[in-house]
Amino acid sequence: MNHGTRKRRMLFALLIGVCVVAVGTIYADLEIGYYTAANLGSVAQPAPPPLQTDGVYSVAAYPLYTPQLVPGAGRQDAAAYCNTCHTPSYITMQPPLSAAAWKAEVTKMGKVYGAQIPTDAEARIITYLQTHYTPETRKR
Amino acid sequence: MATYPQKAPLVLLTDRPVQLETPRHYFLEPITPNDAFFVRWHLESIPNEVDLSSWRLHVEGNVNKQLSLTFSDLLHKFKPITLAAVNQCSGNSRSRFGPRVPGGQWGNGAMGCARWTGVHFRELLDMAGVKSGSVQVQMEGLERGKGPRGMPSYEFKKSLDLSNPVLDESIVAYAMNGEPLPMLNGFPVRLIVPGYFATYWVKCLTDVRLLDKPDENFWMNPAYRVPNTPRGNTTPTDVAAGKVKMIPINRMPVRSFIISPGGATKIPAGFPVTVRGTSFSGFGRVVKVEFADSLHGRWREAKLGEDLGPYAFRTWECAWTPEKPGKYSLAVRATDEKGNVQPDEGVWNPGGYLWNKIERQEVTVGGAA
Repeated sequence: MNHGTRKRRMLFALLIGVCVVAVGTIYADLEIGYYTAANLGSVAQPAPPPLQTDGVYSVAAYPLYTPQLVPGAGRQDAAAYCNTCHTPSYITMQPPLSAAAWKAEVTKMGKVYGAQIPTDAEARIITYLQTHYTPETRKR
Repeated sequence: MATYPQKAPLVLLTDRPVQLETPRHYFLEPITPNDAFFVRWHLESIPNEVDLSSWRLHVEGNVNKQLSLTFSDLLHKFKPITLAAVNQCSGNSRSRFGPRVPGGQWGNGAMGCARWTGVHFRELLDMAGVKSGSVQVQMEGLERGKGPRGMPSYEFKKSLDLSNPVLDESIVAYAMNGEPLPMLNGFPVRLIVPGYFATYWVKCLTDVRLLDKPDENFWMNPAYRVPNTPRGNTTPTDVAAGKVKMIPINRMPVRSFIISPGGATKIPAGFPVTVRGTSFSGFGRVVKVEFADSLHGRWREAKLGEDLGPYAFRTWECAWTPEKPGKYSLAVRATDEKGNVQPDEGVWNPGGYLWNKIERQEVTVGGAA
Protein backbone atom coordinates (compact mmCIF):
# COMPACT_ATOMS: atom_id res chain seq x y z
CA MET A 1 0.00 0.00 0.00
CA ASN A 2 1.58 3.33 -1.03
CA HIS A 3 1.48 6.49 1.00
CA GLY A 4 -1.26 8.15 -1.16
CA THR A 5 -3.68 5.24 -0.79
CA ARG A 6 -3.25 5.20 2.99
CA LYS A 7 -3.91 8.94 3.14
CA ARG A 8 -7.06 8.55 1.05
CA ARG A 9 -8.24 5.72 3.29
CA MET A 10 -7.63 7.77 6.40
CA LEU A 11 -9.54 10.67 4.88
CA PHE A 12 -12.36 8.31 3.95
CA ALA A 13 -12.47 6.88 7.48
CA LEU A 14 -12.52 10.41 8.89
CA LEU A 15 -15.38 11.34 6.56
CA ILE A 16 -17.39 8.28 7.67
CA GLY A 17 -16.71 9.22 11.29
CA VAL A 18 -18.00 12.76 10.73
CA CYS A 19 -21.11 11.37 9.02
CA VAL A 20 -21.79 8.98 11.92
CA VAL A 21 -21.53 11.84 14.41
CA ALA A 22 -23.78 14.06 12.25
CA VAL A 23 -26.36 11.33 11.76
CA GLY A 24 -26.12 10.56 15.48
CA THR A 25 -26.97 14.16 16.25
CA ILE A 26 -30.03 14.17 14.00
CA TYR A 27 -30.96 10.73 15.30
CA ALA A 28 -30.75 11.95 18.87
CA ASP A 29 -33.19 14.73 17.99
CA LEU A 30 -35.56 12.20 16.49
CA GLU A 31 -35.54 9.81 19.42
CA ILE A 32 -37.70 11.60 21.91
CA GLY A 33 -40.00 14.60 22.13
CA TYR A 34 -39.63 15.50 18.45
CA TYR A 35 -42.35 17.93 17.34
CA THR A 36 -42.86 20.12 14.29
CA ALA A 37 -45.25 22.92 13.30
CA ALA A 38 -48.30 21.74 11.32
CA ASN A 39 -51.40 23.10 9.64
CA LEU A 40 -54.87 22.48 11.00
CA GLY A 41 -57.21 20.99 8.44
CA SER A 42 -54.58 18.67 7.01
CA VAL A 43 -55.83 15.08 7.11
CA ALA A 44 -52.73 13.36 5.72
CA GLN A 45 -50.57 11.55 8.25
CA PRO A 46 -47.05 12.90 8.63
CA ALA A 47 -44.82 10.86 6.30
CA PRO A 48 -43.08 8.11 8.27
CA PRO A 49 -39.28 8.07 8.43
CA PRO A 50 -37.60 5.72 5.90
CA LEU A 51 -38.16 2.11 7.03
CA GLN A 52 -34.95 0.13 7.60
CA THR A 53 -34.65 -3.51 8.61
CA ASP A 54 -32.75 -2.77 11.82
CA GLY A 55 -34.22 -2.81 15.34
CA VAL A 56 -35.21 0.85 15.34
CA TYR A 57 -38.94 1.58 15.18
CA SER A 58 -39.70 5.24 14.59
CA VAL A 59 -42.48 7.65 13.76
CA ALA A 60 -42.43 11.13 12.23
CA ALA A 61 -42.26 14.27 14.35
CA TYR A 62 -45.42 14.93 16.34
CA PRO A 63 -47.24 17.84 14.69
CA LEU A 64 -47.78 21.00 16.72
CA TYR A 65 -51.05 22.89 16.39
CA THR A 66 -50.24 25.55 18.92
CA PRO A 67 -52.92 28.18 19.58
CA GLN A 68 -52.10 31.84 20.20
CA LEU A 69 -52.52 33.34 23.64
CA VAL A 70 -54.54 36.56 23.93
CA PRO A 71 -52.26 39.63 23.65
CA GLY A 72 -51.60 41.43 26.93
CA ALA A 73 -49.11 42.09 29.68
CA GLY A 74 -47.59 38.85 30.97
CA ARG A 75 -48.18 36.89 27.77
CA GLN A 76 -44.44 36.67 27.12
CA ASP A 77 -43.85 35.21 30.58
CA ALA A 78 -46.60 32.66 30.10
CA ALA A 79 -45.25 31.75 26.65
CA ALA A 80 -41.67 31.44 27.92
CA TYR A 81 -42.10 29.58 31.21
CA CYS A 82 -45.23 27.47 30.65
CA ASN A 83 -43.96 26.38 27.24
CA THR A 84 -41.10 24.41 28.78
CA CYS A 85 -43.45 21.58 29.74
CA HIS A 86 -46.54 22.26 27.60
CA THR A 87 -47.76 24.50 24.79
CA PRO A 88 -50.43 27.21 25.35
CA SER A 89 -53.03 24.61 24.24
CA TYR A 90 -53.08 23.62 27.93
CA ILE A 91 -54.30 27.13 28.76
CA THR A 92 -56.76 27.65 25.91
CA MET A 93 -58.30 24.18 26.41
CA GLN A 94 -59.41 25.01 29.97
CA PRO A 95 -62.92 26.23 30.68
CA PRO A 96 -63.02 29.79 32.04
CA LEU A 97 -61.53 29.38 35.53
CA SER A 98 -61.90 31.68 38.52
CA ALA A 99 -59.06 33.99 39.53
CA ALA A 100 -58.43 31.74 42.55
CA ALA A 101 -58.33 28.63 40.35
CA TRP A 102 -55.74 30.20 38.02
CA LYS A 103 -53.59 31.21 40.97
CA ALA A 104 -53.80 27.66 42.32
CA GLU A 105 -52.91 26.18 38.91
CA VAL A 106 -49.82 28.34 38.39
CA THR A 107 -48.64 27.87 41.97
CA LYS A 108 -49.07 24.10 41.57
CA MET A 109 -46.86 24.13 38.46
CA GLY A 110 -43.98 25.49 40.54
CA LYS A 111 -44.48 23.96 43.98
CA VAL A 112 -45.80 20.55 42.95
CA TYR A 113 -44.63 19.81 39.41
CA GLY A 114 -41.26 21.51 39.81
CA ALA A 115 -41.47 24.23 37.15
CA GLN A 116 -38.71 26.77 37.75
CA ILE A 117 -40.47 30.12 37.46
CA PRO A 118 -39.05 33.22 39.20
CA THR A 119 -41.47 34.77 41.72
CA ASP A 120 -41.97 38.00 39.76
CA ALA A 121 -42.65 36.12 36.50
CA GLU A 122 -45.06 33.81 38.34
CA ALA A 123 -47.00 36.82 39.62
CA ARG A 124 -47.20 38.28 36.08
CA ILE A 125 -48.41 34.95 34.66
CA ILE A 126 -51.14 34.69 37.31
CA THR A 127 -52.31 38.25 36.64
CA TYR A 128 -52.25 37.63 32.89
CA LEU A 129 -54.42 34.49 33.16
CA GLN A 130 -56.79 36.20 35.60
CA THR A 131 -57.10 39.16 33.21
CA HIS A 132 -57.99 37.10 30.14
CA TYR A 133 -59.18 33.60 31.06
CA THR A 134 -61.84 33.86 33.81
CA PRO A 135 -65.64 33.55 33.32
CA GLU A 136 -65.83 37.35 33.48
CA THR A 137 -62.90 38.12 31.20
CA ARG A 138 -62.59 35.28 28.70
CA LYS A 139 -63.68 36.44 25.26
CA ARG A 140 -63.34 33.20 23.35
CA MET B 1 -59.30 17.37 14.15
CA ALA B 2 -55.63 16.63 13.74
CA THR B 3 -53.69 13.75 12.21
CA TYR B 4 -50.76 12.33 14.15
CA PRO B 5 -48.28 9.60 13.15
CA GLN B 6 -50.03 6.20 12.80
CA LYS B 7 -53.38 7.87 13.51
CA ALA B 8 -56.61 8.75 11.70
CA PRO B 9 -57.90 12.32 12.16
CA LEU B 10 -58.82 12.63 15.85
CA VAL B 11 -60.22 15.43 17.99
CA LEU B 12 -57.32 17.59 19.15
CA LEU B 13 -57.29 18.60 22.82
CA THR B 14 -53.63 19.53 23.27
CA ASP B 15 -50.60 19.28 21.02
CA ARG B 16 -47.67 18.98 23.47
CA PRO B 17 -48.03 16.81 25.55
CA VAL B 18 -50.38 15.11 23.12
CA GLN B 19 -54.04 14.52 23.97
CA LEU B 20 -56.37 13.28 21.21
CA GLU B 21 -59.99 12.17 21.50
CA THR B 22 -61.72 9.44 19.49
CA PRO B 23 -64.63 10.72 17.34
CA ARG B 24 -68.00 9.39 18.42
CA HIS B 25 -68.93 7.24 15.41
CA TYR B 26 -66.09 4.77 16.10
CA PHE B 27 -68.04 3.51 19.12
CA LEU B 28 -70.66 1.84 16.90
CA GLU B 29 -68.22 -1.09 16.82
CA PRO B 30 -67.15 -2.99 19.96
CA ILE B 31 -63.48 -2.85 18.95
CA THR B 32 -61.84 0.54 18.46
CA PRO B 33 -59.31 0.58 15.60
CA ASN B 34 -55.71 1.31 16.62
CA ASP B 35 -55.51 4.39 14.41
CA ALA B 36 -58.64 5.83 16.05
CA PHE B 37 -57.70 4.98 19.66
CA PHE B 38 -57.50 8.02 21.95
CA VAL B 39 -54.15 9.38 23.10
CA ARG B 40 -53.20 10.88 26.44
CA TRP B 41 -49.69 11.70 27.69
CA HIS B 42 -48.76 13.62 30.82
CA LEU B 43 -45.27 14.72 29.80
CA GLU B 44 -43.81 16.03 26.58
CA SER B 45 -40.65 13.97 26.01
CA ILE B 46 -42.27 10.85 24.61
CA PRO B 47 -40.48 8.53 22.22
CA ASN B 48 -40.45 9.08 18.48
CA GLU B 49 -38.42 5.90 18.25
CA VAL B 50 -37.60 2.79 20.18
CA ASP B 51 -34.62 0.56 19.39
CA LEU B 52 -35.69 -3.01 20.07
CA SER B 53 -32.09 -4.22 19.76
CA SER B 54 -31.31 -2.49 23.05
CA TRP B 55 -34.80 -2.12 24.60
CA ARG B 56 -35.37 -4.20 27.75
CA LEU B 57 -38.20 -4.73 30.19
CA HIS B 58 -36.75 -4.74 33.70
CA VAL B 59 -38.30 -6.41 36.71
CA GLU B 60 -36.37 -5.13 39.70
CA GLY B 61 -36.48 -3.87 43.27
CA ASN B 62 -37.53 -6.23 46.06
CA VAL B 63 -37.09 -9.42 44.00
CA ASN B 64 -34.94 -12.54 44.28
CA LYS B 65 -33.69 -12.28 40.71
CA GLN B 66 -33.72 -9.12 38.59
CA LEU B 67 -35.02 -9.68 35.09
CA SER B 68 -33.99 -7.93 31.90
CA LEU B 69 -36.23 -9.19 29.11
CA THR B 70 -36.01 -8.50 25.39
CA PHE B 71 -39.04 -7.99 23.17
CA SER B 72 -38.30 -11.39 21.68
CA ASP B 73 -38.29 -12.96 25.18
CA LEU B 74 -41.82 -11.63 25.71
CA LEU B 75 -42.95 -13.05 22.36
CA HIS B 76 -41.41 -16.49 22.74
CA LYS B 77 -40.69 -17.38 26.37
CA PHE B 78 -44.25 -16.98 27.66
CA LYS B 79 -47.65 -18.32 26.75
CA PRO B 80 -49.49 -15.48 24.99
CA ILE B 81 -52.84 -14.39 26.34
CA THR B 82 -55.45 -12.22 24.59
CA LEU B 83 -58.16 -10.21 26.31
CA ALA B 84 -60.57 -7.54 25.07
CA ALA B 85 -60.68 -4.64 27.51
CA VAL B 86 -61.81 -1.04 27.66
CA ASN B 87 -59.16 1.57 28.31
CA GLN B 88 -60.76 4.74 29.64
CA CYS B 89 -59.04 7.91 30.82
CA SER B 90 -59.87 8.81 34.44
CA GLY B 91 -60.94 12.23 33.19
CA ASN B 92 -63.21 11.01 30.38
CA SER B 93 -66.26 13.36 30.19
CA ARG B 94 -64.59 15.90 32.50
CA SER B 95 -66.11 18.71 30.40
CA ARG B 96 -69.55 17.65 31.78
CA PHE B 97 -68.61 18.70 35.34
CA GLY B 98 -70.41 21.54 37.08
CA PRO B 99 -68.78 23.55 38.52
CA ARG B 100 -66.15 23.03 35.82
CA VAL B 101 -62.79 21.67 36.94
CA PRO B 102 -59.35 22.20 35.37
CA GLY B 103 -57.71 19.37 33.45
CA GLY B 104 -58.12 17.75 30.04
CA GLN B 105 -61.56 18.85 28.85
CA TRP B 106 -62.61 15.52 27.37
CA GLY B 107 -65.99 14.81 25.84
CA ASN B 108 -66.93 11.10 25.91
CA GLY B 109 -64.16 9.95 23.56
CA ALA B 110 -61.26 9.33 25.95
CA MET B 111 -62.01 5.62 25.81
CA GLY B 112 -61.54 2.66 23.51
CA CYS B 113 -61.68 -1.12 23.50
CA ALA B 114 -58.99 -3.31 21.97
CA ARG B 115 -57.96 -6.95 22.00
CA TRP B 116 -54.70 -6.91 23.92
CA THR B 117 -52.18 -9.73 23.55
CA GLY B 118 -49.20 -10.26 25.78
CA VAL B 119 -47.80 -11.89 28.86
CA HIS B 120 -49.48 -12.48 32.23
CA PHE B 121 -48.15 -9.79 34.57
CA ARG B 122 -48.10 -12.29 37.45
CA GLU B 123 -45.91 -14.64 35.44
CA LEU B 124 -43.24 -11.95 35.20
CA LEU B 125 -43.47 -11.22 38.92
CA ASP B 126 -43.26 -14.93 39.75
CA MET B 127 -40.26 -15.38 37.46
CA ALA B 128 -38.43 -12.60 39.30
CA GLY B 129 -39.58 -13.93 42.68
CA VAL B 130 -41.27 -11.30 44.80
CA LYS B 131 -39.47 -11.04 48.15
CA SER B 132 -41.47 -11.09 51.36
CA GLY B 133 -42.15 -7.61 52.66
CA SER B 134 -43.11 -6.32 49.21
CA VAL B 135 -46.32 -4.28 49.29
CA GLN B 136 -46.70 -2.68 45.88
CA VAL B 137 -45.55 -3.02 42.31
CA GLN B 138 -44.55 0.17 40.52
CA MET B 139 -44.63 0.72 36.77
CA GLU B 140 -42.58 3.20 34.79
CA GLY B 141 -42.16 3.74 31.07
CA LEU B 142 -40.26 5.92 28.60
CA GLU B 143 -42.46 8.99 29.26
CA ARG B 144 -40.28 11.88 30.44
CA GLY B 145 -40.72 15.61 30.90
CA LYS B 146 -38.59 18.74 30.95
CA GLY B 147 -38.87 19.25 34.70
CA PRO B 148 -36.14 18.65 37.29
CA ARG B 149 -35.20 15.03 37.96
CA GLY B 150 -37.29 13.46 40.72
CA MET B 151 -40.18 15.88 40.18
CA PRO B 152 -43.55 14.87 38.67
CA SER B 153 -42.81 17.07 35.64
CA TYR B 154 -39.85 14.76 34.93
CA GLU B 155 -41.31 11.27 35.23
CA PHE B 156 -44.57 9.34 35.45
CA LYS B 157 -44.87 6.35 37.78
CA LYS B 158 -47.88 4.35 38.97
CA SER B 159 -48.26 1.56 41.50
CA LEU B 160 -50.75 -1.14 42.45
CA ASP B 161 -51.04 -3.09 45.70
CA LEU B 162 -49.60 -6.59 45.43
CA SER B 163 -52.70 -7.87 47.20
CA ASN B 164 -54.95 -6.43 44.49
CA PRO B 165 -56.64 -9.29 42.57
CA VAL B 166 -56.55 -7.15 39.41
CA LEU B 167 -52.88 -8.14 39.09
CA ASP B 168 -54.03 -11.69 38.28
CA GLU B 169 -55.86 -10.37 35.23
CA SER B 170 -53.25 -7.82 34.16
CA ILE B 171 -51.20 -8.25 31.00
CA VAL B 172 -48.00 -6.78 29.62
CA ALA B 173 -49.30 -6.29 26.09
CA TYR B 174 -47.15 -6.26 22.97
CA ALA B 175 -50.06 -6.43 20.53
CA MET B 176 -53.19 -4.33 20.15
CA ASN B 177 -55.88 -5.74 17.87
CA GLY B 178 -53.25 -8.13 16.51
CA GLU B 179 -50.80 -5.38 15.53
CA PRO B 180 -47.84 -3.73 17.22
CA LEU B 181 -49.00 -0.87 19.45
CA PRO B 182 -48.96 2.58 17.84
CA MET B 183 -46.12 4.65 19.32
CA LEU B 184 -48.69 7.07 20.78
CA ASN B 185 -50.47 4.19 22.53
CA GLY B 186 -47.33 2.82 24.18
CA PHE B 187 -45.09 0.88 21.77
CA PRO B 188 -43.49 -1.58 22.37
CA VAL B 189 -45.43 -2.76 25.47
CA ARG B 190 -47.94 -1.33 27.89
CA LEU B 191 -49.64 -2.65 30.98
CA ILE B 192 -53.28 -3.73 30.68
CA VAL B 193 -55.25 -3.50 33.93
CA PRO B 194 -58.74 -4.79 33.03
CA GLY B 195 -61.57 -2.86 34.65
CA TYR B 196 -59.26 -0.15 35.97
CA PHE B 197 -58.92 3.39 34.69
CA ALA B 198 -56.16 4.02 32.14
CA THR B 199 -53.87 5.82 34.58
CA TYR B 200 -52.48 2.41 35.61
CA TRP B 201 -52.04 1.18 32.02
CA VAL B 202 -48.47 2.53 31.83
CA LYS B 203 -47.33 3.05 28.23
CA CYS B 204 -43.88 2.27 26.75
CA LEU B 205 -43.35 0.19 29.90
CA THR B 206 -39.68 -0.41 30.78
CA ASP B 207 -39.52 -0.87 34.55
CA VAL B 208 -41.54 -3.01 36.89
CA ARG B 209 -40.36 -2.37 40.43
CA LEU B 210 -41.29 -4.23 43.61
CA LEU B 211 -41.61 -1.84 46.55
CA ASP B 212 -41.39 -2.60 50.26
CA LYS B 213 -43.40 0.50 51.16
CA PRO B 214 -46.36 2.27 49.54
CA ASP B 215 -45.58 4.54 46.59
CA GLU B 216 -46.13 8.15 47.63
CA ASN B 217 -44.94 9.76 44.40
CA PHE B 218 -47.12 12.62 43.08
CA TRP B 219 -48.87 10.51 40.44
CA MET B 220 -50.17 8.25 43.25
CA ASN B 221 -50.73 10.97 45.85
CA PRO B 222 -52.29 13.52 45.52
CA ALA B 223 -52.84 12.98 41.76
CA TYR B 224 -55.48 10.55 40.49
CA ARG B 225 -57.35 10.40 43.77
CA VAL B 226 -61.10 10.31 44.30
CA PRO B 227 -63.23 10.97 47.39
CA ASN B 228 -63.84 7.93 49.58
CA THR B 229 -67.61 8.52 49.29
CA PRO B 230 -70.43 6.78 47.40
CA ARG B 231 -69.68 7.22 43.66
CA GLY B 232 -66.71 9.48 44.54
CA ASN B 233 -69.12 12.36 44.89
CA THR B 234 -68.44 15.47 46.98
CA THR B 235 -68.78 19.27 46.86
CA PRO B 236 -66.31 22.15 46.46
CA THR B 237 -67.33 23.30 49.98
CA ASP B 238 -66.47 19.97 51.61
CA VAL B 239 -63.16 19.82 49.76
CA ALA B 240 -62.27 23.36 50.85
CA ALA B 241 -63.18 22.46 54.45
CA GLY B 242 -60.77 19.51 54.33
CA LYS B 243 -63.61 17.07 55.07
CA VAL B 244 -62.92 14.70 52.21
CA LYS B 245 -60.74 11.60 52.48
CA MET B 246 -59.16 10.82 49.11
CA ILE B 247 -58.17 7.34 47.84
CA PRO B 248 -56.44 6.19 44.64
CA ILE B 249 -58.85 5.94 41.69
CA ASN B 250 -59.56 2.32 40.79
CA ARG B 251 -62.38 0.55 38.92
CA MET B 252 -64.50 2.22 36.26
CA PRO B 253 -68.19 2.67 37.05
CA VAL B 254 -70.78 1.30 34.61
CA ARG B 255 -71.50 3.51 31.58
CA SER B 256 -73.51 3.46 28.36
CA PHE B 257 -73.75 5.76 25.36
CA ILE B 258 -76.07 6.60 22.49
CA ILE B 259 -73.94 6.78 19.35
CA SER B 260 -76.60 6.92 16.65
CA PRO B 261 -78.70 8.95 15.96
CA GLY B 262 -76.28 11.76 16.70
CA GLY B 263 -78.86 14.54 16.66
CA ALA B 264 -77.39 16.53 13.78
CA THR B 265 -80.00 15.34 11.27
CA LYS B 266 -83.81 15.58 11.38
CA ILE B 267 -85.72 12.33 11.42
CA PRO B 268 -89.05 12.11 9.54
CA ALA B 269 -92.07 11.14 11.70
CA GLY B 270 -92.89 7.44 11.33
CA PHE B 271 -89.34 6.56 10.30
CA PRO B 272 -88.16 3.28 11.87
CA VAL B 273 -84.95 4.23 13.66
CA THR B 274 -82.44 1.78 15.08
CA VAL B 275 -80.92 3.53 18.06
CA ARG B 276 -77.42 2.18 18.59
CA GLY B 277 -74.71 2.58 21.15
CA THR B 278 -72.19 0.95 23.43
CA SER B 279 -71.67 0.15 27.12
CA PHE B 280 -69.13 -1.23 29.60
CA SER B 281 -68.31 -1.56 33.28
CA GLY B 282 -65.08 -1.96 35.21
CA PHE B 283 -66.92 -4.29 37.60
CA GLY B 284 -67.70 -6.96 35.00
CA ARG B 285 -70.16 -7.69 32.22
CA VAL B 286 -72.95 -5.35 31.28
CA VAL B 287 -76.05 -7.56 31.59
CA LYS B 288 -78.77 -5.06 30.73
CA VAL B 289 -79.12 -1.89 28.69
CA GLU B 290 -82.37 0.08 28.80
CA PHE B 291 -83.59 2.76 26.46
CA ALA B 292 -86.28 5.42 26.90
CA ASP B 293 -87.60 8.39 24.99
CA SER B 294 -88.94 11.52 26.64
CA LEU B 295 -92.45 11.10 25.21
CA HIS B 296 -93.15 7.72 26.84
CA GLY B 297 -90.55 7.87 29.61
CA ARG B 298 -90.77 4.13 30.17
CA TRP B 299 -87.50 2.15 30.19
CA ARG B 300 -87.44 -0.80 27.84
CA GLU B 301 -84.73 -3.36 27.33
CA ALA B 302 -82.38 -2.97 24.40
CA LYS B 303 -80.85 -5.85 22.47
CA LEU B 304 -77.23 -6.47 23.45
CA GLY B 305 -74.47 -7.03 20.89
CA GLU B 306 -71.76 -9.67 20.93
CA ASP B 307 -70.18 -10.52 24.29
CA LEU B 308 -66.42 -10.02 23.87
CA GLY B 309 -65.65 -10.55 27.55
CA PRO B 310 -66.31 -8.98 30.93
CA TYR B 311 -64.19 -5.86 30.38
CA ALA B 312 -64.98 -5.15 26.71
CA PHE B 313 -67.42 -2.77 25.10
CA ARG B 314 -70.88 -4.29 24.73
CA THR B 315 -72.83 -2.67 21.91
CA TRP B 316 -76.62 -2.44 22.04
CA GLU B 317 -79.50 -1.47 19.77
CA CYS B 318 -83.15 -0.67 20.13
CA ALA B 319 -85.88 -0.10 17.54
CA TRP B 320 -87.62 3.25 17.92
CA THR B 321 -90.22 4.83 15.67
CA PRO B 322 -91.21 8.39 16.59
CA GLU B 323 -94.84 8.79 15.49
CA LYS B 324 -95.19 12.56 15.81
CA PRO B 325 -92.99 15.56 14.98
CA GLY B 326 -91.30 17.18 17.96
CA LYS B 327 -88.18 17.39 20.08
CA TYR B 328 -87.32 14.14 21.81
CA SER B 329 -84.76 13.29 24.41
CA LEU B 330 -83.42 9.76 24.18
CA ALA B 331 -81.84 8.16 27.24
CA VAL B 332 -79.82 5.00 27.91
CA ARG B 333 -78.74 3.26 31.11
CA ALA B 334 -76.74 0.11 31.72
CA THR B 335 -76.63 -2.42 34.55
CA ASP B 336 -73.58 -4.61 35.19
CA GLU B 337 -73.34 -8.13 36.58
CA LYS B 338 -72.68 -6.80 40.09
CA GLY B 339 -76.03 -4.99 39.98
CA ASN B 340 -74.56 -1.50 39.53
CA VAL B 341 -76.96 0.75 37.60
CA GLN B 342 -76.14 4.13 36.10
CA PRO B 343 -77.60 6.98 38.15
CA ASP B 344 -79.41 10.01 36.77
CA GLU B 345 -77.28 12.37 38.84
CA GLY B 346 -73.89 13.71 37.89
CA VAL B 347 -70.87 13.45 40.11
CA TRP B 348 -68.50 16.15 41.35
CA ASN B 349 -64.96 15.80 42.62
CA PRO B 350 -61.95 18.09 42.21
CA GLY B 351 -60.13 15.81 39.74
CA GLY B 352 -63.04 15.55 37.33
CA TYR B 353 -63.16 11.75 37.56
CA LEU B 354 -65.76 8.91 37.57
CA TRP B 355 -68.48 10.54 35.42
CA ASN B 356 -71.20 7.96 34.66
CA LYS B 357 -74.52 9.82 34.62
CA ILE B 358 -77.22 8.51 32.27
CA GLU B 359 -76.48 9.86 28.77
CA ARG B 360 -79.13 11.64 26.76
CA GLN B 361 -79.41 12.56 23.09
CA GLU B 362 -81.73 15.28 21.82
CA VAL B 363 -83.26 14.49 18.43
CA THR B 364 -85.62 16.48 16.21
CA VAL B 365 -88.44 14.67 14.44
CA GLY B 366 -89.97 16.52 11.48
CA GLY B 367 -93.31 16.24 9.71
CA ALA B 368 -93.83 13.92 6.75
CA ALA B 369 -96.98 13.75 4.63
